[in-house]
Amino acid sequence: MSLPCGTRNYNYAEDMGIVRTKTHWVLLIAFLVILFTAPLYFGNYWLGVFNLIGITLIAAIGLNILVGYCGQLSIGHAGFIAVGAYTAAILTNRLEMPFLVGLIGAGVVSGLIGIIFGLPSVRVKGFYLAITTIAAQFIIIWVINHWSLTGGFVGIKVPYASIGGLVFRSESSQFYLIIIIAALCVFFAKNLARTKVGRAFIAIRDNDLAAEVMGVNLLYYKLLAFFIGCFFAGIAGALLAHWIGFLNAEQFSFTESILYVGMIIIGGLGTSIGPIFGVIFIRILQQLLTMELVPFLESTFTNFPAGFATGVTPMLFGLVIVLFLILEPRGLAHRWALFKSAYRLWPFSY
Amino acid sequence: MAELLQFVITGLSVGMVYSLIALGFVLVWKSSSVANLALGQIVLISSWFTYSMLAQAELPVYIAFPLVVLFAMFLGWVIERFALRPLIAQPILSLIAVTLGIGYFIEGVITFIWPWSVDALPRLFPREVIHIGPAVISQEYVWVIVICLVVFVLLTVFFRYHKMGIAMRATADDQMAVQACGIPVTRVFSTSWMFACCVAAIGGILISSIGGITHGLVETGLKAFSVVILGGLDSFAGAIIAGPIIGLAESLGGGYLTPYIWAGVKDIIPFVIIIIVMCIKPYGLFGEERIERI
Amino acid sequence: MNNKRLVIAIIICLALMVAALPLLSACGEPDTEGKTLKIGITTPTTGPAAEKGAPMGHGNLDCIKYVNEELGGVNGYQVEVVWLDNGYDAAKVATIVKRFMNEGCLLYSTSSSAMMAASMEIANRAGFPGIAAFSSPILYRPPQHIYGQMPDYGDDFLVFAEYYMDNIWKGTGKPKMAMHLLANTTGYGARDAATAFAEELGIEIIATEEHSKTTTSEMESLTRVKALNPDVLYISSTPAPTALIVKNAYELGMFPGITIGSGHAGFTKALIDIAGADITEGVYGVFPTVNWGDDVDGMAKMTEYINEYHPNDAGNMDYITTWAQSLIMVEILRVALDNAGYDALAAGDAASWKALEEQGIQKLKNYDVDGLHGPVSYTPGDNRLSKSVRVFQVQGGEITPLTDWIDAPMVAYEDFEWFGN
Repeated sequence: MSLPCGTRNYNYAEDMGIVRTKTHWVLLIAFLVILFTAPLYFGNYWLGVFNLIGITLIAAIGLNILVGYCGQLSIGHAGFIAVGAYTAAILTNRLEMPFLVGLIGAGVVSGLIGIIFGLPSVRVKGFYLAITTIAAQFIIIWVINHWSLTGGFVGIKVPYASIGGLVFRSESSQFYLIIIIAALCVFFAKNLARTKVGRAFIAIRDNDLAAEVMGVNLLYYKLLAFFIGCFFAGIAGALLAHWIGFLNAEQFSFTESILYVGMIIIGGLGTSIGPIFGVIFIRILQQLLTMELVPFLESTFTNFPAGFATGVTPMLFGLVIVLFLILEPRGLAHRWALFKSAYRLWPFSY
Repeated sequence: MAELLQFVITGLSVGMVYSLIALGFVLVWKSSSVANLALGQIVLISSWFTYSMLAQAELPVYIAFPLVVLFAMFLGWVIERFALRPLIAQPILSLIAVTLGIGYFIEGVITFIWPWSVDALPRLFPREVIHIGPAVISQEYVWVIVICLVVFVLLTVFFRYHKMGIAMRATADDQMAVQACGIPVTRVFSTSWMFACCVAAIGGILISSIGGITHGLVETGLKAFSVVILGGLDSFAGAIIAGPIIGLAESLGGGYLTPYIWAGVKDIIPFVIIIIVMCIKPYGLFGEERIERI
Repeated sequence: MNNKRLVIAIIICLALMVAALPLLSACGEPDTEGKTLKIGITTPTTGPAAEKGAPMGHGNLDCIKYVNEELGGVNGYQVEVVWLDNGYDAAKVATIVKRFMNEGCLLYSTSSSAMMAASMEIANRAGFPGIAAFSSPILYRPPQHIYGQMPDYGDDFLVFAEYYMDNIWKGTGKPKMAMHLLANTTGYGARDAATAFAEELGIEIIATEEHSKTTTSEMESLTRVKALNPDVLYISSTPAPTALIVKNAYELGMFPGITIGSGHAGFTKALIDIAGADITEGVYGVFPTVNWGDDVDGMAKMTEYINEYHPNDAGNMDYITTWAQSLIMVEILRVALDNAGYDALAAGDAASWKALEEQGIQKLKNYDVDGLHGPVSYTPGDNRLSKSVRVFQVQGGEITPLTDWIDAPMVAYEDFEWFGN
C-alpha cells in the first residue's frame, strides 16, 4: 500500500479519500498556493509557457484515459483538438455565442466526432486501431481546410475568452482560467479511474475478451472512452483557440499527434500523475532547447557549420526521449512512485 | 479510355512506391512487433547520404549504391543495438515511443550535416518516357516497380528458406519459445532492423530521384503506414498488393471524384478506404488473424 | 545493475546541468552599457519547412551581422537580435512571440506566412508589430499590426496574369487557365486572387487542382487538366512539388506547348535542380526580389557574406528575401530613431511598439532596399511594404528577368463576401 505506516481506514469514506495524511494536506495546499500565486513571480513569457502546458495537459489527460486506461491506441489526437478549437471558434466568432457555450460545445462536438472514428474499435485493436485514428486526423484536417464554415485555408479569428463581463485579456488572467480548468480535469480523471467506468476501462485494456465475458459492455465502454478522451481534447482545443486567437489547420499537425502519444508514454501510461509529468517534461524541454540552448550555441560557437545550433535541438530532444525510455521504460510516474516509497522508508530502505 | 489507362498506370506505379517503403515497415513488425515511427526519417537520411555519395563525393553509381546499402545496414544495427535492445521485454508502447525519439534524433543529424535541406539527386534515369498505348509512364516508375518486385521476391525467399528468415518468423510467433530453442533473439532483431533500413534506403533513393530530397519524404514514409495496415501488418504479400490498391484508389478516385467534391480528395481516399477495410477485415487484407484466449 | 543505472542517471543529470549552467549565468547578467535596439527573428530552421527556413534564417542573421560590424549599427546603436527557431510548430511560435515581447524586442519577423498566422493575433492583441517575409492576405486584411514585406501569393497571380495577357497570349477569346495549388495558404492565396479578378482580367479558370507537399506524382490531376485543353497552367507551391508538376506535364507532352507560370514560393533554384534544366526550360515565374549576380547596390556585400558564412546557400533566392527583410527592419529602426529618438524606443514596451509603428514603419517612403527588391513605402490602409514583383523565365537553366518591377494592386479581400467563408 502506498500509505505511510500507521495510517488506518476507519470507514469507507476514509478508504476512498485521495488526500490522507497531514503531510498530504500541507503539500497540496502549498502546491496550490504556489500555483495560484505564480503570476506574481513569473513574467508573461513563462506564464505563456504555463498556459501552453495547461492546455496540453488537458488534452494529454484525455488521451491517457483513452490509451492508458482503456487501451485504445489513438494517434490522431491533434485532429480531435482541431475539432474542438474550430467548434469553439465557429460558435464564438460566427454565431457570437458566449465563451462557456463554445467551450462545452467544443468538448461535445469533439467527443461525438471521436465516437464516429472510434466505431472501428469495436472490431479492431492495437496498432490497427491506431491507423484508423491517423485516418481520422487526416480526414478532419482535410474537411477543415475545405469547408467554408471553418474559414478554409484562410483561417479563422477567435475572440478573447470571457465569462459574463469578465474578459480574459492578460496572460495572467488566462493563466487562472486555464489552470482552473486543467485542475478540474485532473481531478475528474483521477476520480474517473476509481469509478465503475474506470474499472471497466482497465478491464478492457488488460483483456477485452475477459472483460466482455465478465459482463462489461465493450461497445458502450469503448465508445465512452473515445467520447471522454475526445471531449478533453475538445476542451483543450477551445482553450487553445482563445489563447492563440487565430486558427489555421496547419497548427494541428500529425507530428503533434505523435508527440502527444510520446508525452503520455514518457509520463507513464494509465496513471493519473503520468500525463502531468510527461507534458511538463516535453514542453519544458522544447522551450529550454529552442529558447535557451540554440541561441546560446549560435552566439558562442560561431565557427561551427551552419546547421550546428539548429541541428542540436531535435537531436537532443530525440536523445533525451530515447535515454529516458531506456532508463525508465515505465515512465516518470513509476520513478515518482519509487521515489515516494524510498522517501517514506528512508533511511531504512530494506 | 486513354484517361482511364493513364489513371491506372499512374496509380499502380505510385502505389509501388508506397509498397516499397511499406516492406521496410513490415520487416520490423514481423520479427519484433515494433511499429517503426522513424521510418520516414530513415528514408530521408538515406536519400541525403546517397546525395553526398553521388553529388558531393561524385562517386560512380556502382560504388555509391553499395556504400548506401552498407550505410543503411549500419544505421539499422546502431538503432537496434543502442536504442531498442535495452528495451527488450519492456512494454511495447515504450518501444514505439523510442522509435519516435530516434526519428527526432535523425532529423537533427540531417539538419546538422545537410543544413540547406532541399536538393536533387543527379538524374539517375533518362527523362524519356515509355509509351503504353495512349498513356505514358516515366522510367523512374518502371524502375520502382522492378526493384520493388525484386526486393519482394528476395524477402519472401529469404523468409521461407534461409535459416535466419525462419528464425525471424519463429521469433515473431513466440519470443519465449524461440529463446528456449537457442535462437539468438537479439541477432534476429538486429538483422531485421538492418534489412528494414536497407529497404527504406532503396525506397528513399527511388523516391528522391522522382521528387527531390525534401522533408516531405518523412511524411511519404508515414503514408506507407496506411498501405501496411491495408495489407496486414505482418504480410509482405499484403504490402505489395495493398500499395497498388491504394495508388489506384488515389488515382482513380482523384481522377473521377475531384470535379464533384472539394479539391484534394485524392489525399484522403486512402484513409477512407482504410476505415472501411478495418470495419470489414480488422486484420487487413492478408494479415494473420489472431485467435485470442482469455 | 541498480547502481549502474543510478550512475547513468546521475551522469545525465550532470550533463543536463552543465548544459543549463550557461543559461543560468545568462539570466543573471546585468544589462550591458552599450545601448542597443532589440529585434526578434524567428525562422522555421528545423522541421517540415526547413528547406526554406534554414537559408532564410541565415540571410536574416548575416545581414544583421553586416549592419552591426560594417555599418556600425543603426545611427551608432547596435542591433541586438533575438533569433529563435520555431520548427514550423504553431504551439512553439506562440510562446516565441511572447518571449520576444517579454525580452523587449521592438518588432519581430517571420519567414513563413503560416508561422505569422499562428502568432499574429497574440501580436495584434498586444500591439506588437510584426513583419512577414512571405505573406498571405489574411495577415493584413483588414490591416492591423502585421506587415507584409513583399507582395503575397495573390499578388503574384495578378501580376503574372496581367503579364500573360499583355505579352504571351496571342490567341483570340479568353485564355483557359488551370491552377495547381498547394494545399495551404500558399496555394489558396492565388486562388482567392483568381476568384476575385479572373473575370476582370479576361481569363477563364477551367480547373483548380490541389496537391499536397508530399506528392510523388501529379500525373492523375494533369491528365484531367490536359483533357480540358488549357492554354496556361499556374502553379502556386513550393519548389519540390512545382518541379514534380512541371516534370509530369513534360512527360504527358503538355509542356512545352502550354505556358507554365509559378508563384514566388516555388520559383527558386531548387525547382531547376529537381526537375532538371532541360525540362524546366521556358517556365515563367514571378519573384519579388532580384536574382543572384544582378547589378544592384546590395549584391556585392550579400555575395561576400553568403560565400564566407553560408556557401551552401549560394544561389538560394530565399536568402535574398530575408537579407532584404533585415535591411528593411534596420531601416525601420533608423526612421523611428530619426523621428522619435532612442528614448522612445529604449523600453521595448507597448509605448515603444506604438512609437516604432507610427514613427518608423508608417513613415517608410521609397526605401530602395539596396536595390534587392521593389521599393518599400507605407501607404495607409495597405500593410504590404513592397508591392512589386518582376516576371522571370527559366532560360538555359538560369532564372532570367524579363521585366522591370511591376506593382501589384491592393486588394481589399475583406470586402469580398466569400473571403474566409
